[in-house]
Amino acid sequence: MHRGRLVPYMMLAPFFILFLGFFIYPFFYSFYLSLFATRMGSSQFVGLNNYFVAFSDSSFWSSIGTVIYYGVLQAVSVLLLGMILALFLDSSLVKGKAFFRLVYFLPYAVPGVIAAMMWGFLYSPELDPLLKIFNLFNGGKSVDLLSTGHLIYSIVNIVTWEWAGYNMTLYFAALTALPVELYEAAKIDGCNEFQIALRIKLPLLRPMITFTSILSIIGSLQLFNEPFILSSLTSVPPNYTPNLYIYNMAFSYGNFNYSAALSFLLAFVTFVASMIFLYFTSGEQRRERRLQKLADRNRRSQNQVYSPVEVGGQV
Amino acid sequence: MSASNSTLGITQLQRQNHARVTPGKRMTTIVVMIVLILVSTYFLLPLVWLLISTTKSGSDLFNTPMLALPSHVSFFANLHLVSTYGGGTFWRWYLNSVFYATVTSVLSTLICTMAGYAMAKYQFKGRKFMFSLILGSLLVPGAALTIPTFLLIKFLGMMNSYQGVIIPGLASAFGAYFMNIYIQEAMPSEFMDSGRVDGASDWQIFWRISLPIIRPGLVTYFLISFIGSWNNFFLPLLILNNSALFPLPLGLQVWSTYITQAGSGVPPYAQIIMGSFLSIMPMIVLFPFLRKYIASGMISGGIKM
Repeated sequence: MHRGRLVPYMMLAPFFILFLGFFIYPFFYSFYLSLFATRMGSSQFVGLNNYFVAFSDSSFWSSIGTVIYYGVLQAVSVLLLGMILALFLDSSLVKGKAFFRLVYFLPYAVPGVIAAMMWGFLYSPELDPLLKIFNLFNGGKSVDLLSTGHLIYSIVNIVTWEWAGYNMTLYFAALTALPVELYEAAKIDGCNEFQIALRIKLPLLRPMITFTSILSIIGSLQLFNEPFILSSLTSVPPNYTPNLYIYNMAFSYGNFNYSAALSFLLAFVTFVASMIFLYFTSGEQRRERRLQKLADRNRRSQNQVYSPVEVGGQV
Repeated sequence: MSASNSTLGITQLQRQNHARVTPGKRMTTIVVMIVLILVSTYFLLPLVWLLISTTKSGSDLFNTPMLALPSHVSFFANLHLVSTYGGGTFWRWYLNSVFYATVTSVLSTLICTMAGYAMAKYQFKGRKFMFSLILGSLLVPGAALTIPTFLLIKFLGMMNSYQGVIIPGLASAFGAYFMNIYIQEAMPSEFMDSGRVDGASDWQIFWRISLPIIRPGLVTYFLISFIGSWNNFFLPLLILNNSALFPLPLGLQVWSTYITQAGSGVPPYAQIIMGSFLSIMPMIVLFPFLRKYIASGMISGGIKM
């Protein structure tokens, strides 16, 4: 029995050691680094000075502004499209659901870097395929989708293409876990498909919507790959997004200490943004919990997990 | 087979009934189907464009309409071009990617499964703490770790090495969390007890009894981990500058920087398009068979990789 007591620690050990080394340690080391600055060739302790500098660094805050604007656009297009598709596929109006589920989810199999490159080519004036459609809206004048003004919308489109199907898959699974009795009752009361979707399915999707929104916030604030890839096709400011700024601060300008401070600040902003979002959505949570309880009663599994849908749910 | 028919639950029947189309709905159905098909073309367009573009030479790309085949199909010429461009490193990158993704996903699956299993099936001091640590870390954006991870790898002398790319990604908090949840649900503790009665050690129980039972969960996490490391870009970007070690996304990204760089010859559009096509091909072909496993894992963990 004595040996048995050691077993769980032995099983946990490889994970724990690597987790400690490549997650916990870097996290605190990042903060430690941010307290120093290189002055006249040597590293000096400067306390929170890097943070004070960051607070008045307009390059950093303008990048935060960009990703907040981007985040709102992205959340609307990715989550809304994902949700509408899921609601359609869950309704009785559609045939060939398996086909659509597959097609919409397919971009998940494409690496983000390659997706960004493909769309970058499709946007390129030299290759010119998509542009002509947009010219129609611009009175026949040509539109450069990769110009600084349009860049953000071009990125939103890439990210929508990549992630809408992913979110659809999450919503669809959550919908499949809902009890059909609710729809039957609504139908008897005279609801049509659209009313059922709007009045019954949507409110019950709330926990999943909150959850995907949080993921969306975290993802948006960290935007890096798409602008980084597009920067080889067009000019992207080095401080276009916070992560791009942090990357350039460290690897183009070699200022690791300040870069670490910015990383920490970004993590903090992300955390605060998530909390603010949770605060504003939790007002309705009690009502939602009541509905959720109703849904839970009809679930196959009794095991409540962190996410609203159980393992092995119909997907 | 008949057993699965007889276990068809009430809800399943109701669901089928619920899904029946009545004649009055026909018009709405047609409208909705048209919308869904239009959306499908949006999702398929870049992939179809990529496939067609692999048949075009560099000049055809600019001179033929986007979705039209060229008069002369240069698919094999492009294949030759991509294989020889830049000293013929493309297939080396391909092998690197296969190597990174395979080693990372196999090891990560094993490490995370052991951790999840220990937390799901054993009571020990620090179990709760470990679990909250893992949950909390899921909320920390990776950006906060970039710089110190880079410096750590440098300190360990793992710059420009296979280990440097593989090791930092092994202990996935998502993986441990997912396996923990899965094992709690799918693996009854009674099996462990009966193994003990038969005199098996804890490790024998783990390898011989538990792993076979939780195989579907292993497959799911393995696939998610494989795709995650196949797509991995940021860490290799930071720690590799020896192009012989590049994974595909990084290699292709470097090629794409030649497009606007002055003095690097003809822009390698055709090479990048063929290279992109070849690197997404295997996953696109396998995806219809793997979708179910991937989706079930995503949903129970629900974390963007």
